[in-house]
Amino acid sequence: MTATFQLRRVTVSYPDIRALAAVDLQVDPGEAVAIVGPSGAGKTTLLRLLNGSARPTSGTVAVGGERLSEMSPRRLREARASIGFVHQDLRLVPNLRVLQNVTAGQLGRLSTLGAVRALVWPPRDAVRQVHEMERVGIPEKLFASTDRLSGGQRQRVAVARALFQQPVALLPDEPVSSVDPARARDLVQLLVEISAERGLTLCVSLHNLELARDYFPRVVGLRHGRIAFDRPPSTLAQGEIDALFRLETAGDRA
Amino acid sequence: MTAKTPSFSIGPRGWVLLSLLASAVWASVTLDLDVRRLVPTEGGWSVAAEFLARAVSPALTYEAAVVPAGTQPLLVKATEAARMTLAIAAAAMSLALVAGGTLGLCASTFWWRGTVRGVRRRFPFVVAYAGLRILIAVMRSVHELFWAVLLLAVFGLGNLTAVVAIAIPYTGVLAKVFSELIDEAPRDAGDALDGLGASRFQAFIFGVLPRALPDMGAYAFYRFECALRSSAILGFFGFPTLGYYVTASFENLHYGEVWSYLYVLFVLIALVDWWSGQLRRRLVA
Amino acid sequence: MSANPFRDARVTDDRETLIRRLWQDRPRSRFVHWSGGLLLALVVHGWMLGGVNLSDVLSPQRWQNVERFLTELRPFPLQGRAWDWSVAGQWTLELLREKAWPAAVTTLAISVLAIVLATLGALLLVLSAARTIADAEPYLPGPRPPGLIRRLGSGGVVAGTRALLTFFRAVPEYIWAFLLVAMLGPTAWPAVLALALHNTGVLGKLGADVVENLETPALEALRGVGGSRLQIAGVGILPAIVPRMLLFVFYRWETCIREATVLGMLGIVSLGYWIEDARSRNHYDEMFFLILVGALIVLLGDVLSEIARRVMRTQQ
Repeated sequence: MTATFQLRRVTVSYPDIRALAAVDLQVDPGEAVAIVGPSGAGKTTLLRLLNGSARPTSGTVAVGGERLSEMSPRRLREARASIGFVHQDLRLVPNLRVLQNVTAGQLGRLSTLGAVRALVWPPRDAVRQVHEMERVGIPEKLFASTDRLSGGQRQRVAVARALFQQPVALLPDEPVSSVDPARARDLVQLLVEISAERGLTLCVSLHNLELARDYFPRVVGLRHGRIAFDRPPSTLAQGEIDALFRLETAGDRA
Repeated sequence: MTAKTPSFSIGPRGWVLLSLLASAVWASVTLDLDVRRLVPTEGGWSVAAEFLARAVSPALTYEAAVVPAGTQPLLVKATEAARMTLAIAAAAMSLALVAGGTLGLCASTFWWRGTVRGVRRRFPFVVAYAGLRILIAVMRSVHELFWAVLLLAVFGLGNLTAVVAIAIPYTGVLAKVFSELIDEAPRDAGDALDGLGASRFQAFIFGVLPRALPDMGAYAFYRFECALRSSAILGFFGFPTLGYYVTASFENLHYGEVWSYLYVLFVLIALVDWWSGQLRRRLVA
Repeated sequence: MSANPFRDARVTDDRETLIRRLWQDRPRSRFVHWSGGLLLALVVHGWMLGGVNLSDVLSPQRWQNVERFLTELRPFPLQGRAWDWSVAGQWTLELLREKAWPAAVTTLAISVLAIVLATLGALLLVLSAARTIADAEPYLPGPRPPGLIRRLGSGGVVAGTRALLTFFRAVPEYIWAFLLVAMLGPTAWPAVLALALHNTGVLGKLGADVVENLETPALEALRGVGGSRLQIAGVGILPAIVPRMLLFVFYRWETCIREATVLGMLGIVSLGYWIEDARSRNHYDEMFFLILVGALIVLLGDVLSEIARRVMRTQQ
């Protein structure tokens, strides 16, 4: 599956709020895009559309040229197995060992029996998992209990799990929102490097425009569910940036 | 201008508390309890006094005047009774864990709520679910002594009867509690696994079940402690556990021996309680 | 790092060594492993050396017994005859009126009174069982560090109370009732007191844990303005633990009902009494019906308890 993402006039409405309105977005394979905006802008919803976790109220979402709404459940599973979504709250299983959490990344491709074997019996030859752990920088924590890790380390385990999926795209949702600036840079740099090495499509949601500007060739600004701009950061005017992040006024809820 | 008097509202908790106290009053009236009956009768006094006095001096050897030759020393017999109590409890818990675990997994709503859509297709699940819950409810509301009464009439006095008599209600309790723990476990990891292409079953086993497992284990261990008690009281029906010897000694008026057996039971339970606390410290994050 | 590290055998070897070393050094709890082994040993011991005879179940004699027993469960007036609803209904009503209903009410009353008494007992003992308040210096340091005697004393009070509560809890309700009947005669008091005693142990321990886990700032403040232990308890601790305790109380009430049904077998007029009575006369149909009634009131208590707990949770 090629990692093309295409959103056409997508609106996502919930009973009490409209998360996204008439969004058009095209991401090509191997691109690195940063989605920026203030909290509540709809960044998470946007990312969740890309792996089918959220359904559009109107409009179409296409991954690899196929429309998600037209995929069979099996095809959808295959598509999801190829997309590495890293949740903001990580969603690891705290009382399992790190190795087991990382191995879970392959569940989409294992039979149930194979999965039971892989998870109940931490494999001695977990070479590929170690490889991913090395790439994110914490190989020595392979057999540690996940709940004994620091927040930053757990963040890396979540990334390792996504990488272990051998995905064609990486979708980290607000990976640095609760991290100090130095570590934030570290992590974003890691994500960008890995994606470049492996030719993954990278689509990160951030609320820090500085970070986006420094590492991404393309920045999509989101405010109140609408795309404010979609351009290389060097072309952005200060006025546009301010407008993106300013506090709400009455006219914003249009 | 009049000052507003502060309003006092009895919240829901207050109402519950009040109804509890009111029922206690109703209960004492219904039972026709005479506080004077709290004072033992003539005969009762002597029994009580003698019995309570022996609390500080439990017997270390038999109190009978004549002890048949070849009888084991008292402490050995007490240990043996404790061993049988433990054995029956362990066997019963092993049955209850397997059966209760299976039933509990089946009785959780995880399977069909949310996946199977449409009233027509849900119907068989709902029926099966309701039937399962009724079965579990019946199993757990009959006390193990009553199960023993029923099973004794059929299977006689073998220890297997005791094991099954305990296993049945405990299966019911474990099934109920396990299913509740599974339903209440956080779903976030399961959702994430869903999102990376795992099947529903896989997401459950690897994302949701591990979250519930520590509490399930803690509760199962607590149940093991209760099983020791249930095993002990089955002795009243003749099974070779501590309860049997308590009654035998009491009826022979050997109160010191009674306290010995009670202390042995106390030590057994205190040990298991301590063990359970240690495990919980190490396993529940 | 090479583009395809898996083609590099040396790197894979290094990784395998790394994995092996990490596996050996992994954090594991000796205690947990030994516990698992011990539990397994206990189970095996139970089945093999617990006098359990599986062949008992398989003999044809047993299955004849089962059949015979099942036929005896039919209501007496209907045995050997075709099923007749009116006769069955008549039999049921009579049983209910004479034995089942009054006994069921008695059983419920015993359980309610017992749990309320147990709560009172637990609240009394909770303060001396909780380390935080029974300490030599509850919540805030005093003017002078406490001497050895004071520290031993408060430690002893906590240990002693906890041991007492554990003892109450360790002795099954049935045995307490047995002992009390011998002392007080077969009235309702032995049943009530036996259940109350055992559950004081249970609720006392649960309550002490709650007290120890309370958030301390408010309590420290009370101590800081010079409150005595009793004052802190009355104004700070007890109101704070009442919500949790109520949840425990209702959870234990269900168990109380279950135990109250069997205590009748010792002579107190609850359901258990009539069940034992029927059994001794081999009236298995009555016995079975009464056991079912017992199950029903336990389930009733279950439902009521669940409702009460839901109602209380809404306030939180």
